Amino acid sequence: MKCEICGRRAESRFCELHKRAQENLREKYEEWKRAMDITWEEYLREVLKNPLTGLWVKEVARILLASSEEKEAPSMQEKV
Amino acid sequence: MDGRTILILCEKPDAAARLAKALNEAGKVRERKLKGVPYYEASRDGNKLIVISALGHLYTIAPKIEDRDVYPVFDFYWAPRYEVERNSGQTRKWIEAISRLSKDAQEYVLATDYDIEGATIGYTVLKYACGGKDTEAKRMKFSTLTADELRKSYEKMLPHIEFSTAEAGMCRHLVDAIYGINLSRAMTTAAKRWSGKYTTISTGRVQGPTLKFLVEREKEINTFVPTPYWTVKALIEIGGSTYEAEYEKKSIGILEEANSIVHACAGKIGTITKIDVRKTRQNPPTPFDLSSLQTEAYGLFRYTPRRTSNIAERLYLEALISYPRTSSQKLPPAIGYRGILEALSRQPAYKDLTSDLLERGDLVPNEGPKRDPAHPAIYPTGNLPERTLSDPERRLWDLIVRRFMAVFGEPAVRQSVKVAIEIDGHRFYLRGRQILKEGWMRFYKPYVRFEDVLLPQLEEGDEVRVKRVIREDKFTKPPPRYNPSSLLKKMEKEGIGTKATRADIIETLYSRGYISGESIAVSYLGFDVVEILDGYCPQIISVEFTRDLEEKMEMIQSGSEKMERVVGKAVEYLKPVLEELKNREREIGKALSESIRKARMEERTVGQCPVCGTGKLVILRSRRTKKRFIGCTNFFEGICKTSFPLPQKGSLKPLRKDCKLCGWPLIQVRSRGRRPWNLCFNPECPSKERSKRS
Repeated sequence: MKCEICGRRAESRFCELHKRAQENLREKYEEWKRAMDITWEEYLREVLKNPLTGLWVKEVARILLASSEEKEAPSMQEKV
Repeated sequence: MDGRTILILCEKPDAAARLAKALNEAGKVRERKLKGVPYYEASRDGNKLIVISALGHLYTIAPKIEDRDVYPVFDFYWAPRYEVERNSGQTRKWIEAISRLSKDAQEYVLATDYDIEGATIGYTVLKYACGGKDTEAKRMKFSTLTADELRKSYEKMLPHIEFSTAEAGMCRHLVDAIYGINLSRAMTTAAKRWSGKYTTISTGRVQGPTLKFLVEREKEINTFVPTPYWTVKALIEIGGSTYEAEYEKKSIGILEEANSIVHACAGKIGTITKIDVRKTRQNPPTPFDLSSLQTEAYGLFRYTPRRTSNIAERLYLEALISYPRTSSQKLPPAIGYRGILEALSRQPAYKDLTSDLLERGDLVPNEGPKRDPAHPAIYPTGNLPERTLSDPERRLWDLIVRRFMAVFGEPAVRQSVKVAIEIDGHRFYLRGRQILKEGWMRFYKPYVRFEDVLLPQLEEGDEVRVKRVIREDKFTKPPPRYNPSSLLKKMEKEGIGTKATRADIIETLYSRGYISGESIAVSYLGFDVVEILDGYCPQIISVEFTRDLEEKMEMIQSGSEKMERVVGKAVEYLKPVLEELKNREREIGKALSESIRKARMEERTVGQCPVCGTGKLVILRSRRTKKRFIGCTNFFEGICKTSFPLPQKGSLKPLRKDCKLCGWPLIQVRSRGRRPWNLCFNPECPSKERSKRS
């Protein structure tokens, strides 16, 4: 299987590197939720436009934003 | 002349000239040439001195099997460089000249740099070019090229060369060659067999772990998610001036909390509840060793470690500073502090400063903990430049002179003031700082980075007006990228490489295309080389393994380990790794070829297409006209036909920067005999309007 983003070898949707970026992205959402009133989708947009965000995180965020099932993930849709 | 003929071998031509001049007693030094190689004839104690230099290393380690597709190879020998290295043709003349002159000599003296490389250069030349004179040769040991020290060193020559140091040096060269050549051949061959194209992919015993540091940092940066936090500042009005006071919590993790502080404090009156004044002594800096000089020169002048090392080498060869490749932070009294300061006082810029130090009874340097058995810390010799120094040379010399004076200075005294202001139950701090006593800073002034922040006269119980309260939105930052200086420090901290090799290893990573930029970014190729080594033979890029080998090599130098044992163990360790690489050659070749393809593409990619927004602009060449131009990758999908013309002469390099006027990506054009210039290829860019008007 190949990574959806970079074409590297992958065991699931993403390669090791993009998977790590995705894990960080999910983990940090909890901190963002605690810090400010923000939905998963708003969070992804904020992260995407932030110049300090890592390149691979941005690539994952872009894909997640584009894929509707991720946007509609119920656990992520709730506001604080 | 009835005396004997003594051949003195130096490391560099400039050192030979200086040594001949210093030792000569009668008449003038005669500069002669043999096969175009300069050497010097001088006389001393009735003997004829022939002073000649090597040209750095004249011999190198080479594999007995030259075919680059063959590995593993464990049989190596010391070969003249001209036989095995490209662009080393002139070493042939040098070896022949030394060989010829050595035949007329009855005595041999080694006067190369007194360190591991100097010993190795000297040993190989004496053994191979002079026909086994390594056992007879005596050794001059010096740390500066001043006439006085050279004469003393000649009078007190060591009875033989430092064999254990030479053995350690030869062992390092051999182990590095065994690792570098085998691993590089394994990877290059794998990629070539898969893709049919040849690209040198190198790695080595120190290069691999160093690249791994960079890759690990790159991973941290690329997977970094910033999190928001807030700071609150109060602008306080005191005596018509405004001062900034920080909220007691340096970072506030919840937006609502930050807002509530702002609302509570805005427009209120604050009361000064406490004034805390502290005085701290700041000791002088320690003398420079090579790595702290490289760090300081990078911080102040942005010189890369290699550039600093090269400039320092030139200053040493002109007898302006002591030997720079040292890890010592000690300045022994034997160097003659007063003599150096008195000599430096002839330079008007240092007159007042040196006389200030010379008036003191006792001069005691503030030494650091690091030692080097061969050389003291870097210090100025007291000689003044005999020619006009270039700007970089002058800056570095001045830095070394001022640092030397500063280490004898008294501690500086700093005062810091912390004023606590209570505003509606919230505490803010106003901070000031000031130098009360300059001490050593007076000597190191242009290079001291300290700014006074003065506060007005305040007393506890005073009331102050809060002009405004500001909330600042901030984000956590990713770890910084390494730069050449911080990478060198990291290598030193981890104990890999030596002071003489670290800067060169960093340059090799650049030249192989594994890394780029001053703020170092790792390329696809660099990334994949580490990923492959990590995946198939992680032990090769382990810091522990490299450090362990370094320690063993140091033990050879101190006589507690033998070269054969260290080399034997290194080979034993490497053999199964190479077998594994060979067994998996196809998959490694495929991964590397893909990465080389991506790296080539990356080199040609200019940036995001500003027209379609999804494609990338790349430098292409027309099949029909053979002319180069910029085109969008979406052209092949039939989506975007954007293209721009390019200059047809010179080399082009995407700058990874955007035009300040229009925001389009820039390209650097380099052509022979012209300064590189930056091109914005946007035909509508305001810069084009400006050039049309002019």
